Amino acid sequence: MRHHLPVFVFLLPFGMAICMPLISLVRPKWCRGLTMLALAAMTGLSVMLYSHVIAQGPIRYALSGWMPPLGIEWIVDGLSGLLLPLLGSLALMGVWYAGPLVTEGKGSIHFHLLTLLLVSGLSGMVMAGDLFNIFVFLEVSALSSYALVGSAGGRALVSAFRYLILGTLGASLYLLGVGYFYAVTGTLNMTDLADRLPDLLASKAVMAGFIFMLIGLGIKMALVPLHGWLPDAYVDAPDSVSPLLAPLVTKVALYAVVRVMYWVVGGEEVGETLPILTLSSWLGAVAALVGAFLALSQQELKRMFAYAGISHVGIIVMGVCLGNPTGFAGGIFYLLTDAVMQAALFYIAGTAFYSLGIRTLADLGRLRGQMPWVIGVLIVIAISMIGIPPSGGFFGKWYIILGALEAGNYIVVGGVVGATLLTLGYFVTIFERIFVDSVSSGPAVLAESPLSMRATMGMLAAASLVLGLMSDPMIRLILDHAFPG
Amino acid sequence: MIRTHDSLIVQIIGRVLIPLIQLFGIYVLCFGQFGPGGGFVGGVIVGTSLVFSMLVFGLDSAWQRIIFRVIQGDGVGLLVFAGVGGLCLLAGGEFLNYTELPIPGLDAASRRFVGIFMAQLGVAIDVAVTALSIVLHLADSSRGYGASS
Repeated sequence: MRHHLPVFVFLLPFGMAICMPLISLVRPKWCRGLTMLALAAMTGLSVMLYSHVIAQGPIRYALSGWMPPLGIEWIVDGLSGLLLPLLGSLALMGVWYAGPLVTEGKGSIHFHLLTLLLVSGLSGMVMAGDLFNIFVFLEVSALSSYALVGSAGGRALVSAFRYLILGTLGASLYLLGVGYFYAVTGTLNMTDLADRLPDLLASKAVMAGFIFMLIGLGIKMALVPLHGWLPDAYVDAPDSVSPLLAPLVTKVALYAVVRVMYWVVGGEEVGETLPILTLSSWLGAVAALVGAFLALSQQELKRMFAYAGISHVGIIVMGVCLGNPTGFAGGIFYLLTDAVMQAALFYIAGTAFYSLGIRTLADLGRLRGQMPWVIGVLIVIAISMIGIPPSGGFFGKWYIILGALEAGNYIVVGGVVGATLLTLGYFVTIFERIFVDSVSSGPAVLAESPLSMRATMGMLAAASLVLGLMSDPMIRLILDHAFPG
Repeated sequence: MIRTHDSLIVQIIGRVLIPLIQLFGIYVLCFGQFGPGGGFVGGVIVGTSLVFSMLVFGLDSAWQRIIFRVIQGDGVGLLVFAGVGGLCLLAGGEFLNYTELPIPGLDAASRRFVGIFMAQLGVAIDVAVTALSIVLHLADSSRGYGASS
């Protein structure tokens, strides 16, 4: 039965999503509980799946029994297996966190249904073994995230529309690239493509297709010159939605890039005709610096965190594009850590608004004395974002810098160090506003947030520290099972 | 609420055409296994005929309320699809591997036939209901999305 685990991991959120309208007719109050149940079961199964993959090697699942390369294939290996539990657990926490924020009735049904669809789309993208299925699941997850962003109405509709236009452009460019690959090789299956492409790398069509795919996925993961849609979409999205989108959507697009770059095209081989890895790592450095610099100048809390996310996508890109195992492991480890940190940051922003109505940095002084829990979590996450030793963020950056020194790529070293300094800069601004600013409000009353918010924030803060303490076995796990070849 | 179309010609042509369109839709759905067609196309044609009949004969608010409740079940088609796939899983095959469908007394080829037909039927139901629901939501702006949450 273990052989079937990949399809169960997908079917749990998907099946629950299609049952949701029927459930809402009979028992509208059950939506939240059933959603959390499905996501918890999915997390459990994906942990089982990952341990199975570690013990017995990758699982290749031929859907409907048609053998690949003709049939559709799902692959769960050390890399995709690592991401599935992350997806499930962060979505579960997101739904738990959102409890007090989601209004009863129709809004609640839409939120839970779309979240389940988003998660099933993302998990399909992670497991897909051929290029076209990545596109299909990219669209499934993207369509649900457009609807989630727009569900607040008002300004959010404009941001969601812009996200839709740019996201669709990204998906079309990706599809165009897939078309080029198909025209040259006659196959879409990744393993098959990896066999045929090395002889064809001189072909201009393959190069053009690869670049189209990179640009398309670059829009999806908000790599810097292509990041225009992200800040508005995440800021205007409801507070219940942005912590779901921020850690997952851009990271899974980045995962697709890694998949195509290393498993389909083969990073080193391509380097002989076009230094695509070096170029991408430079782009990552630009993204990390520009994102952090823009974050520094924001006055709105959520917008600052959105730019922080853009900057950290750049850091991950730098890591995975170094082309050596150390940098790759550092990048993937940083991807996990950053997903946790992004979720926690948007939880903090959402909680501050929910309890005290704080949206801008100028109001942050009111947190002091009123929300010790939020401030505590913010300190832990800031330690990890900046990269101070016991945290996950430190070890991710450490391995990326080690990899960059190994590769002799000093631009990446400069990029990581510069982004770290700028990150320190914007967190100093935040803490200055919290602890130094004098506020004219009355006596400090404890205004703590509901239990679900405190619990999820605390768990993520703990997770970012645990990731740091466990970094050695994690890195070894990534090196042994996730690095290609 | 959608009012009845006031032209007699449209009404009479509609009365003749709608059953034909539906018949054609079902034909396309069934023929999909031997040639062009299938669940999606068949579903679109049947759904279009339902939309057409709504536009011609109108829809009073009592019926509209009933239909709004019915299209809550637009996941049923997908459930049929996933259910057929799930049956294959239960019998030990891969998801959607119809040769493993637990139907006694059928050889592998007929099981494939039944399986793919059921899956296509699910797709057709879902597409038809979705077409209907898009038109109804456009017609009734008070139930529009965005305002609801």
